[in-house]
Parts: sequence; C-alpha cells; structure tokens
Amino acid sequence: MMNMEIEGGSSGYSGLDRGSFLAWEDLRVVLPNFGKGPTKRLLNGLNGYAEPGRIMAIMGPSGSGKSTLLDALAGRLSKNVVMTGNVLLNGKKKSLGYGGVAYVTQEDVLLGTLTVKETIRYSAQLRLPTRMSKEELNSIVEGTIIEMGLQECADRLIGNWHLRGISGGEKKRLSIGLEILTRPRLLFLDEPTSGLDSASAFFVVQTLRNVARDGRTVISSIHQPSSEVFALFDDLFLLSGGQTVYFGEATMALEFFAEAGFPCPRKRNPSDHFLRCINSDFDIVTATLKGSQRIPDVPNSSDPFMNLATAEIKARLVEKYKRSTYARSAKDRIQELSTDEGFETATQSGSQASWWKQLSTLTRRSFMNMCRDVGYYWLRIIIYIIVSICVGTIYFDVGYSYTSILARGACGAFISGFMTFMSIGGFPSFVEEMKVFYRERLNGYYGVAAYILANFLSSFPFLVAVALTTSTITYNMVKFRPGIMHYVFFTLNIYSCISVIESLMMVVASLVPNFLMGIITGAGVIGIMMMTSGFFRLLSDLPKPVWRYPISYISYGSWAIQGSYKNDLLGLEFDPLIPGDPKLSGDYIITHMLGIELDHSKWWDLAALFIILICYRLLFFTVLKFKERASPLFQTLYAKRTIQQLEKRPSFRKMPSFPSQRHQPLHSLSSQDGLNSPLH
Amino acid sequence: MRNSEATHVGMEIEASGRGSSGNGTTTLPGLSPLSETLWREKANNAEIIGDVSARLTWKDLTVMVTLSNGETQNVLEGLTGYAEPGTFTALMGPSGSGKSTLLDALSSRLAANAFLSGTILLNGRKEKLSFGTAAYVTQDDNLIGTLTVRETISYSARLRLPDKMPWSDKRALVESTIVAMGLQDCADTVIGNWHLRGISGGEKRRVSIALEILMRPRLLFLDEPTSGLDSASAFFVTQTLRALARDGRTVIASIHQPSSEVFELFDQLYLLSGGKTVYFGQASEAYEFFAQAGFPCPALRNPSDHFLRCINSDFDKVKATLKGSMKLRFEGSDDPLDRITTAEAIRTLIDYYRTSQHSYAAREKVDNISKVKGTVLEAGGSEASFLMQSYTLTKRSFTNMSRDFGYYWLRLVIYIVVTVCIGTIYLNVGTGYNSILARGSCASFVFGFVTFMSIGGFPSFVEDMKVFQRERLNGHYGVTAFVLSNTLSAMPFLILITFLSGTICYFMVRLHPGFWHYLFFVLCLYASVTVVESLMMAIASIVPNFLMGIIIGAGIQGIFMLVSGYFRLPHDIPKPVWRYPMSYISFHFWALQGQYQNDLRGLIFDNQTPDLPKIPGEYILEKVFQIDVNRSKWIDLSVIFSMIVIYRIIFFIMIKINEDVTPWVRGYMARRRMQQKSGTQHIAPDVLTQSPSLRTFVSSHTK
Repeated sequence: MMNMEIEGGSSGYSGLDRGSFLAWEDLRVVLPNFGKGPTKRLLNGLNGYAEPGRIMAIMGPSGSGKSTLLDALAGRLSKNVVMTGNVLLNGKKKSLGYGGVAYVTQEDVLLGTLTVKETIRYSAQLRLPTRMSKEELNSIVEGTIIEMGLQECADRLIGNWHLRGISGGEKKRLSIGLEILTRPRLLFLDEPTSGLDSASAFFVVQTLRNVARDGRTVISSIHQPSSEVFALFDDLFLLSGGQTVYFGEATMALEFFAEAGFPCPRKRNPSDHFLRCINSDFDIVTATLKGSQRIPDVPNSSDPFMNLATAEIKARLVEKYKRSTYARSAKDRIQELSTDEGFETATQSGSQASWWKQLSTLTRRSFMNMCRDVGYYWLRIIIYIIVSICVGTIYFDVGYSYTSILARGACGAFISGFMTFMSIGGFPSFVEEMKVFYRERLNGYYGVAAYILANFLSSFPFLVAVALTTSTITYNMVKFRPGIMHYVFFTLNIYSCISVIESLMMVVASLVPNFLMGIITGAGVIGIMMMTSGFFRLLSDLPKPVWRYPISYISYGSWAIQGSYKNDLLGLEFDPLIPGDPKLSGDYIITHMLGIELDHSKWWDLAALFIILICYRLLFFTVLKFKERASPLFQTLYAKRTIQQLEKRPSFRKMPSFPSQRHQPLHSLSSQDGLNSPLH
Repeated sequence: MRNSEATHVGMEIEASGRGSSGNGTTTLPGLSPLSETLWREKANNAEIIGDVSARLTWKDLTVMVTLSNGETQNVLEGLTGYAEPGTFTALMGPSGSGKSTLLDALSSRLAANAFLSGTILLNGRKEKLSFGTAAYVTQDDNLIGTLTVRETISYSARLRLPDKMPWSDKRALVESTIVAMGLQDCADTVIGNWHLRGISGGEKRRVSIALEILMRPRLLFLDEPTSGLDSASAFFVTQTLRALARDGRTVIASIHQPSSEVFELFDQLYLLSGGKTVYFGQASEAYEFFAQAGFPCPALRNPSDHFLRCINSDFDKVKATLKGSMKLRFEGSDDPLDRITTAEAIRTLIDYYRTSQHSYAAREKVDNISKVKGTVLEAGGSEASFLMQSYTLTKRSFTNMSRDFGYYWLRLVIYIVVTVCIGTIYLNVGTGYNSILARGSCASFVFGFVTFMSIGGFPSFVEDMKVFQRERLNGHYGVTAFVLSNTLSAMPFLILITFLSGTICYFMVRLHPGFWHYLFFVLCLYASVTVVESLMMAIASIVPNFLMGIIIGAGIQGIFMLVSGYFRLPHDIPKPVWRYPMSYISFHFWALQGQYQNDLRGLIFDNQTPDLPKIPGEYILEKVFQIDVNRSKWIDLSVIFSMIVIYRIIFFIMIKINEDVTPWVRGYMARRRMQQKSGTQHIAPDVLTQSPSLRTFVSSHTK
C-alpha cells in the first residue's frame, strides 16, 4: 500500500513502481594485516536476501560483524577491508556508491539551531529536482513529517549543547525522515534504537515498519531490542563471529532454536535468548565469576545451558543452520532473485537540484544557523566590542608625542594580531557544521564548491559587522589618523584579517581529528605568523633564511601591519625624544624606526591580504576534495595488494572474531565527549 | 527479630560455602571475609558492635520540588518500602518516574530545591547520611585514565584506609576487592582515556563499584549501574552486585530496562510510575501480581519489558501519534494493553497495589524493622590522616601527569619548538641600537605568549576536576589535600619545562650574561607559568565547561598582557582602571619589570649612528621602557611567587563556596519562592531537608 498523501504530489518520480530486491551470496570480508599478525575474517560466507515491503533485523552480540554486513551491503565498507562475493540489486551486480542508497548512521548529525520542519524543508530543497513546484515540495515535507510522526515537534528546535531541543527518539525519526525524502527503495540503518528508551525505540521501529510496508526494503542492525521492538521485525539475520546463526523469518527463529535444542524459556524475550546463546562474552563472565568463587547462587534453574559454553552452543547452531531447511530455501530464493533480471531501478544520484539551487539553499540555511547560534558569531561580536572598548580606553586619544609612536604601532599590532586571534571562539560551532557537511556529502547532497561558497556568503554579513564595530570603536576612541579613506582602509584591513583567520581555522578543522588539536594547531600557526609580522622583531632584522623569506611573506600579519602603519603614520608628525630637536615625520619613522620599505602603497598590502584569503579558501577546497578523491584511490590500491597476498597464502589462520571498532565504547568516554562538544 | 535476621543472613552465607579469609582473623557473624576486615579492629576495641548490617526503611516518603516559577511538583508520593541486608533491591520505572529521585532521597543526596517529608530510618534511627556513610556509585565513571585498575584501587585504599593499618593488610584488601569484582584479568590494564585504549565499559563500571566497596560499606546505592553496557557486561555487573548483597550488604540500585538475564538476578523489585508505587515486593512475585491485576505477561516476553510497557505512559503518546499518521497497523490484539491506554493501566495497577497483600506486608515489615534500634553506623568517609591523603594524592597525581601525554609532555614539546623559533628569530641579539627594542619584545613574547600556552593543559585538568568531584562527593579526602597535592605534583614538570625552554631561549638569544641573570630569567618564567596554571585552575573551578574556560582564560590573559607595560608604556596607561588596579594585578607587568631590569641593567647599547654617545641600559630602563629602577628585580619576582599562593587560595575558596554556600543559597531561594507562592503552607523543618550540598555542586557543573 502506498501512502496516498505523499505520493499524490510526487508525479515527477521515476522507478517507484518496482521495489528493490537485494541478495548477497557468499559474502566475505577480511581485514588484511600485511605481515603483522594474521588476517582477520569479519564476515565468513554469508548468504541472504531482502525483499521490498519487509523489514530485516541484523542481530548479534557486539563484535559479531553486524555493522560490517550492513556496510558491505550499503557499499560503505571502510578502506582497509577487502570484500569478496556478490551483492546483487535486482539481479544485477552493482556497487552502491555515494548517494546511491539511503543510510541512516548511528549518530544523528543535525544542525541544532533549526526546527524539525526547517531541517526537512532545506534538505528537500537541496535534493529534490529544481523544477518541482513549491506546493509539491511543501506537500512532500508535510507528508514526511506526518509519516515520521513528528507533527508535535515540527516547529521545535532540534537543540544543541546550550539549547534544549527535541528528544533522542525524535532526532532519530528526523534523521530517517531526511533519508526517505527522495523516496529511496532501499534503506539501511545502523542501530537506530541505541540510546533510546523503550517507548522511543518502539516508535522508531514502528515507523520503520510503516516505511517498509510502503514497498521499501529496510535493513537495520539492532542491538538488544526489547520484546515489543523485536516483535516488529519481519526477517532476522542472526550473526555471531561473522557466521550465520540464523537467517529467515523472525517468528521462525524460535522454532529453529527449539529444534536445535535450545528452547526459549517462557519468561524470556526471544531476542535476549538468542543473544544469550551466541554471545561468547558470557563464557568469559562465567569463567571470571567462577574464578572469584562467587558462582554459588547463580540461578541455575532458569538457565538450561549454564553448563554449556556459549562457544559450543554457537558452533552447534551454525552447523545446524547450514543443514537446515532455512538455509536451503534461502539459497533457492537467492538463486531465483539473481536470475530474475530486467528490472532496472533508476537510482538517482544524491541530489537532483541544480547547483544554483543548492548554493542558495545552503547559504540560507547556513545564515539561519549563524543567526540562531549564539556561539557562532553573536558571542564573538560581544567579545570584540568589549575588547575594543578596553583597547580604546587604554590608548585613548593617543596623540602625537614621542611615546605615542610606539603606542600607535602597538595598538595596530594588538588589533590585527590579538583581536583576530579571538576568531578561534567560533571554532566549535564551525566543527559542528562540518560534521553536518560530512554526513550530507557522504550522502551526495551537494558539492564541495557549493558548500564553501555558501559558507563564505553567509558569514560575510557577520564578519563585516564584527569588523565594523571593532574599527569604529577603536578608530574613534584612539583617534587614529583622521580622514574617511583612512577609516575605510582600517576597517577593510580588520575585515580581511578576521576572514583570513576564519579561513585558516577552516583548513585546520578539515585536517585535524578533534576540537582540542584544532585549537592547538590554530593557535600555533597564528603565533608563528604574529612573530614574523614585523612587530615583535622588525622585518629588516628577521633572520633571512626561513623567517624572512618564505614565512613573513606568507604571514597575513606582516601585510596587515605594514598596511596599518602606512595608513596611520604617513603624513603625521611627532614630537622628538629630546624636546627641541626637529619633529619626526611619518615616513622617517616607518623607514627608520619600524624598518618598513615604502616601495609599495598600503593598498597593495591590502590586496596581498585578499589574495591570501582566496588562497586559504582554495586550500580548504583542495583539502576537502583531496580527502574524497584520495580515499577511493587508496582503497583500490589496497585491495589489489591484499588480493595478491591472498593468492600467496591459500588459507587464513584460524582466528576468533574481531570486535568492530565502532561499538567498542558502548559507554562513551566522558573525556571524548568533552572534546567533541564544549558541554563538559 | 534482629537476631533471627542476623542468623538468617549468616546461614545464607555459610550455605554459600565460603571459607575464612586469608589473613587468618576471626570472622564476625554475618560477614564474609571480604567484609570483616575493617570491622575487626572495632571489635578488638571491645565495642559492642554485634550486627553491623544496615536496614533501611522509608515510610510515606514524599518529595516535592520547587520549579523556577515557584510552582511545586510532587516527584514522589507516599512511598513505603524497606531494604534489608543480603538483598539486592532494584528500583525500576520508565524515564521520569522518579527512580533516581528515590535513590537520591534514600541516600540524602537530594538537590537543594527538593523537599522531603516522611521518615527514612536506618537501623530504626533517623540518621543523616552524610558524605561516605553509604557508598553511592554514580552513573558516569570518572576515573583517572592513565592508571591501571590495580593502581586505581590501591591509591584509593591508601587515601581512605587508616594510616595505622599495615600495608600488607591494605594490599590484601585491594586484592580481595579485585577478585570480588572479577577484575583479575584486567587488573594491570590501564583504564584508558581519549587517546589511550583501555578497559571496556563494563570493567570501568566494576572499577567504580570496587572503589566504593573498598571501605566495606553496609549500604550501597547505585544509579543505573548497567546503563550503556551490553548484555554480557550488564549481566556481569548485576551478578557482582548480587554477590555483594549476599555478603550481608544492603544493595539498592536503579535499573533501566534490564534484559531477561539481569532481571532474574533481582531480589526485591520497586516499580515506580509517575512517583507512585506500582509494585514493591519480591521480584519473582511481580509476575503473578501483574497477572492478578489483569495484565498477564505474554509468553516469551521478558517480564521487565512487560512491566515497563504497562506503566510507561509514553506509549500512549506513541500510539496517538501513530494513529494520527493513519499508519497504525497493530497486528493481533490479544494484548490487553492494545485496548486500554497505559494511563488507565497505571491507575489500575496503583490502586490494585494499594489494596494488595504486598502493600500490607511491606508496611508491616517496615513497622517491625523500625521498632528495632540497631547499630549506629559510622560515617565511612576517609580514615587516613591529612598527611597520608596529601602524600597519596600527590603520588597519584604525579603518576597521572607523567603518563598522560597531553598533560605536560605535549606542552614540553610545544614549548621547546616555540622557544627554538624565538631563539632563531632573535638569534644572538647583541647590543646594537635595534636590539634595544628587540630585547624588550623578546621578553614580552616569552612572558606573554609562552605562558599563554599553559592553557593547553586545561582539558587534562578538567578531567582531574571531575575525578575530584566524584571522590569529594563520597568523602574520600579534603579540599586542602587536593589543592596541595596538585601544586606539589605539578612542580617537577613545570620546573623541567621552564628550565629547558628558558635555557634554550637564554643561550640562543644571548640575553644578559651571568649565572644570576640566567637564574632570574628561568625562575621568572617558572613563576609566570605557575601563575597561569593556578589562574586556569581557579577558572576551572568556576566555569561550567571547557570552551568557556578557555575563552575566559584567554580573555583575562589578553587584558593582563595589554596592561603589562609593553603594548603601552607604564606611565601612559590611563590611571583610573587600567593602571591602578589592573596593571598591578597583572603578573605580566611584574614579570616584565623584573626581566627588563635583569636584562638591560649594566649593558651599554650603540646609538643610532656611531658618532653619537653609547646608551647605558639604565637610561633605557628609565626613559624608554619606563621601569621603576628603584625596586629590585627580586622583589618583582617575589610578587609573582606570592600571586601563585593567592591564586591557589582563591581556587580553594572557590571550591568551598561552590560546596557550601551555593546550595544553601539555592535551597533558601527555593523555600522563599515556595513560601511566597503558597502563603502559609508549612514546610517541614526536617533535618533531612538539609541535603549534602555537593550533589548540586556537581550537577550544576556538569549540566
């Protein structure tokens, strides 16, 4: 059954009439370990299929390979593993790349300052075809909200570290809603219920079931579902140590376990029972408990297999499954599906919107985010005003005495050096935005260029506001050289400094893994630039080899300071050190006391700053592009090498399963949180 | 009654077949060798201890909180129950049902704006459970990531066990705790932090519990000990808790969505919904109770899932929303819950419980227990002396600092890199005319920026503070010991860092030659870095998060730098605010005053042109840098050292204020607000309304 409300408005779609049949045969994933230690098998010859209209749960204890299986099916395996076997979509072998399938990750990366409806609408505008009318778009947005049961919180903010927003379950449903906007036929979810309480988890899975009933194929990994949640799944793929323990209808699993000699006790949730049977961690637990001699009161009565190691149970089940009718019928069905070719689903690549549409939507969204996030620019504007007033009062009416020469220099250096330094304050908000970018980019929503340009455009008004307030306050309080052009130059100089730092921090953010490293690296780079800017050591005195020649020319600081000295001092006259001597002219001071050549005008200095600004933006673009381009390249190289290795060594060493990195910190480290968010 | 209880417990433990302990002491009745160690000494002191177990009862417990608008809300309503030694009581309920509040009320850790009425009796006496009487294991494990499990536990033992207890006994205690918590396999693994891979979440949780049972408390509270753990780890933790209970302890834990295996381990179950009792009694009988009340648990379902499904009113909302989107396709309605709303189900269950035999039995039991006046349990806090605490803390902190790469080592590397940069830029500065300003800016760069980088250690320090707050909350040691130990343990690292980087800088730039000049420079750098360190600590104790800390720290240092006399000469700084208090508060000011004198006095500089007379350093100091030459540079240095002391004292005061004054003010405000709103309403002047204040302190710091 299709959802009438939603389908009514979307006449422009293609490939809706057919569902996606996904089948996988003899799927193996290995983690090669060149020379060092044995190769690890993550998945070991799995067979299975998923049909439209049904929802499949991939279950297993931690480290059993459920995420690996999900990633393998969605074509998102990380670069360091090698996959063999077939994954067939509607009978055709195809690689599902960027944006080909909808994949809902475990964590919800959303912009906290937008409301639920805005998030969905912006996402729709970014990806749905540009030719779609406003009404059509609106009806799709509304339909998605209703389908995901988000009516009540549609106008509430999502919330971030300082803003209280919607609940975890609502966030998860919103993430799912974003993925189903473009009506994908295939939906993958990685542990959609982790971290949710039973009611929210139930709601999420119930919604997924509805999504499936609309003719979509839903595959989800799930960890320890409660009884209600487990009852909602149609199919079950039970994994342990990369091997199939059971694949088939969820309701038949109980029978399978009973046949194998492990019936589920009456007062027990089937999914708890299955996991209890195949989770080899329980062996360790039992062994340790026995070791500490605390076993006496373990409730033996209710545990029929307390005396049997789970490893043994698991091995029995795997054997049993291999010879069962379930395995045979699954094989037959896969055979059927793989020969049943001919249905070509038009898989649209990530976004169907035009580049301009993407740019304008991104700009508006980013601007909205900056407006609402206090930490992004508003806080900084306030800090700038306070610091400007401090500077203004300290250098109040600086005058033309001999000491004011140094004071003017120091004041200019302080403004272009330290005050720009405070741009680091926006770093956390920027990192948050980058996370959203990475997720959306991974799903192929828009291009890197559109993102960078949109960011530049949306931040422009704020940066201008920061520069204007700072320059107006300090210029008028300190009484720099009068004249409108001098004021304009001063403002432009500050603006370009702040923008350069901003761009620098973006480059840093795209390179470093976490917040703290970002701040340290950023501060380090800015520190070096300040040192070579010509204030702490005169440019002419700087040692030539490294500091003078490449660095002081790359440094934004030296250009900014040269410009501001020229702007401020040229044409003024100052009192000499000893009263009675002739007055000191501005150009004498600049050439003799400050060691700056007067061979180019201040406007060239400003131009140099703008060139540096553009360079940083280009660098940012290159870094992002390189990260994307380079990774597939490495992947193929890596795979080739591994296959060679595999040919050399016919057999792998027998190894127990390998715990996946992703689920290791089930209980997240507080320190890690502290670095990701400024909350702690 | 009491005797029979004691023998009952004793029998149970004997039945479990435990031998006597390794250190060959006589075993008190009712206590396993694990528990007896600490109480042995008291028995030797000829005190009549008898039964040292804890029986907790609560009757008609109501907790009311005042909201910010003066409204009051009952979070708990008329709860009655008890917890006995040897049993493991689980508090269960949907989110927001009040299970954490009940746990807090029982352990006297309620927030200041919550008011409690009803009686809570421990061994038949009204007792104020202050820090450490009862052990309380919080939900998040704040542990020092660089220590191994064994180290963590043995440091904690040294911090809290009496000094006179021989080390072999302490070690035996530590080892037995490790075994008791099943931590043998990971005893020598580090706990792990953001850059160090360590033990798993379940093991961390067990370490947290191990730290609390070290002092052998008779009463143990745990806030959601299984949250965030996978089923095997959750099972392990619960199994351990059950074993602890079987040793004669009273264990109360709030548990959220236990799996089937975990649920089977509970002895008593307290089921809450909306602050009201849905069920209290044997966990195994709850199944029957729900069936009798008309909500039988379907086959093949985890009973706890079923109970929570019945009493979680969120399901009503979920259903309503699903119906709203016309997508509801509930299949098969043999479940009675599909016919009525959970709100109705909750009402039915609460009414059914009130009149059930479980309710009567509970009340009777509570009355019986509270009639018996049992042993007064002593506060378990720390029994170690102040010196022992300080020594242990210093040692622990030192170990942590030397192992945590981000704490000082990273900074050492950065400092060396930066000073090499400075050294090459000002390489061999000389005594030319231009070098006058260069020397000045070199000094200001070193004292301004280099000290600024001390901010890099802030995150590690914030981690330290978290551990401190947890341990302080449980009364492990005093604030003074903490402040003192932190100062002492950081000293060797700071000396190493500043001497290395100071030496590099001094010899590359070739500042004023002479050993005393070198010593002054390095000491001055050391003092400045330590001041920044102390300043950041004081900030860390006030601000709520990491980012705010860095922003505020950077802001304060920026202003200090601005008035230090380099960016604007001392005499030109406007007098009112900037000159008079600010520049004298700024440590940069004193550092620059001292260092300029140290560097320039006695040197002679070239003039602009060779034909003009040479300029003596004293002239530059007075006329160009406007330094007070009458004051000795050593006085400037001692001012900086006194600042270190002042900031440490501020740090100490801040912690004290946060602990004692803030909660009192909050509680007072809450009471005022409530009185204004409700006019004549009587507020119970119960002792228990005075809750220990640290919890609010911690919660306000982590929220």
